[in-house]
Amino acid sequence: MTNLLNIENTLFYIVICLYFAAMIFYFLFIALKKDGVAKLAAIIQAVGLLLHTAALICRGIGAGRLPMTNQYEFATSFAWGLCLVSLIFIARFKFPVIGAFAAPVILLLIGYAAMQSKEVKELMPSLRSSWLGFHVSTAIIAYGSFGVSFVLGIIFLLREKMQDKGFWDRHVPAREKLDLISYRSVCLGLLFLTVTIVTGAIWAEQAWGSYWSWDPKETWSLVTWLVYAVYLHLRIRRDWKGKAAAIFAVAGFVCVMFTYIGVNTFLPGIHSYA
Amino acid sequence: MKKVWKFLGSMQFAIILLVVLILACAGGSFIPQGHSYEQYAELYSERTAGLILGLGLDDVFHAWWFLLITAFLCGNLLLCNLIRLPQLLRRSKQADDPAHLGAPCVELEGIRDPEPIFARLHMPKARETTDEAGRPLRISVQNRVGLWGAWACHLGILLLILGFALGQMTKEEYTVYGVPGEIKQIGETSYFVKIHDFRVDRSESGFVEQYTTSLTVIDNADENDPMSVDAVASVNHPGSAFGFKLYQNSMGDAAKLTVRKDGKLLQESWACAGDSVPILETPLSLRLQSVLREEAEEERNPTGYAYMIFVGEEFYTMNVQGPGESIPELGPNYEVSFSEAQSYTLLQIKRDRFTPLAFAGGLVTLLGLLLAFYLQVRKLWAVQNEDGTWTIRGSSPKGGALYADRVKEAAASS
Repeated sequence: MTNLLNIENTLFYIVICLYFAAMIFYFLFIALKKDGVAKLAAIIQAVGLLLHTAALICRGIGAGRLPMTNQYEFATSFAWGLCLVSLIFIARFKFPVIGAFAAPVILLLIGYAAMQSKEVKELMPSLRSSWLGFHVSTAIIAYGSFGVSFVLGIIFLLREKMQDKGFWDRHVPAREKLDLISYRSVCLGLLFLTVTIVTGAIWAEQAWGSYWSWDPKETWSLVTWLVYAVYLHLRIRRDWKGKAAAIFAVAGFVCVMFTYIGVNTFLPGIHSYA
Repeated sequence: MKKVWKFLGSMQFAIILLVVLILACAGGSFIPQGHSYEQYAELYSERTAGLILGLGLDDVFHAWWFLLITAFLCGNLLLCNLIRLPQLLRRSKQADDPAHLGAPCVELEGIRDPEPIFARLHMPKARETTDEAGRPLRISVQNRVGLWGAWACHLGILLLILGFALGQMTKEEYTVYGVPGEIKQIGETSYFVKIHDFRVDRSESGFVEQYTTSLTVIDNADENDPMSVDAVASVNHPGSAFGFKLYQNSMGDAAKLTVRKDGKLLQESWACAGDSVPILETPLSLRLQSVLREEAEEERNPTGYAYMIFVGEEFYTMNVQGPGESIPELGPNYEVSFSEAQSYTLLQIKRDRFTPLAFAGGLVTLLGLLLAFYLQVRKLWAVQNEDGTWTIRGSSPKGGALYADRVKEAAASS
């Protein structure tokens, strides 16, 4: 088991290097305006994701449980989720510029993970539940999707200010399409956040006898849900699309990050391990 | 009056309520809840403390104004769904009506055969009709059920809030604790819990993996014919009996308290840590604080018992009793001692009939979101021109330019 944890440790640092290399190649793609560089960056990112998956599997087997139960594990899983969702969006919408903006966020997250304790601790009884996997993995996808909507919001806001219109017109979808892709990522995030909240409630009911306790993490998950619900309603009611929606997507991710890091730092509660 | 009702069920009002809820929830998480005036005054200032208590910010999630916002949100969701129901039924019925196709987001002309494009986009069988000019018209509507997504989502949230609110108002909640062998009443009900066994499972390294209590719930409503149900409660696996759910909540130290006066047994009972046990024929009560153990020693082999003595409500003294010793503070006539250290189990017992309603609400919300986001209504229609070619148009209220791309790609590859 210790061997597997050592392998995970080695893989973790290789993954950081690969994500860093992918970021550099994405930046080179923007600087050199060569499509081949973008492909290379995406391939490096995909290899990084594969090794990251292998690292998580090693940790899971080495620890004898799902690797999603402390700050280190959630941060590295969050980076994995953002990497996965961003690659899906890059492939689905043939939009490699996403990678140039997602890669620094992924690096920040994995860097945050690197600063956390990697010690494998035994799980307290309440965490020994089959709901753990559903609850945390859906949170990872939700946060990853909101991360992509944040990246798309930034790309939208930068698109107008870019001097080289030719490159941006060729590699970044038109405003309307960009807005719709961002909307899609918010939809994916909101759907998975709802699954996270519902599965969390079912689990809390079994573990603590109360499916909703207004714990800070619960409350801020609800706040995040409400923020994106407002986003969806404003799109319909006030036709808040384009720039306004992009700003909202960026602000929404700030709320996601507060739910993840801010709550644990400033508002301790029964989710203190998450 | 009609205007008021319309506003109460409007999206504008919904957005206002959602924003207020966001602010209230954020405030409720930042301001420590349930503190006293003195604690708030120490944390902030006397003026702020007064403001917090005056506005109910010390218990935001149960404050009258928070409940009022939630009630307004329920009203808004209900009115919104009632107003939209006939519209949705009409839209669902008219989805493939040539007069209600809506504005297209894509238009392709000069198509020889529209069928491969319809097939490539997995459109259902097209309705064949004619347009107002009498030209052949084929209309296909995909994901008609998606129209109901937002409606189902609103219904789900309404059920969830109702289930939660009704649960809060009607739920019964009790705490029972004791050691194996004891029988404890559940609150003031006719039900009793007999604790058979309490087990702490540990890993090889001594870390606690699970707490398990085996018990029997006895319904003593009819004393001549009591009914009983056996149950096992462990963390994440609550037991159930007579509509109650029994949760393994906590545990702690317990010991048998024996009091002898002039050699005669005066009382013998179990004392759980934190409990004050009145000593008969005296104004004193004795509280077991904890059982002291050395790490290497077995659980049932304590090195001492920490206790406190109270005179009435007033603290008198505290001390540690070693194994086999007597507590000296009660005087030479008394022989008082703790023994047989073990763990007590604390069970939380609940009966909330509306939990299933709240969970059903959550699932309906999820289903609604799934319909709204991933089964979006898409229309594709083809009208035959005089030269025999077809003009294809498509619309997708939520897909817009992305759907237009898909239609163009399908046309290019057909």
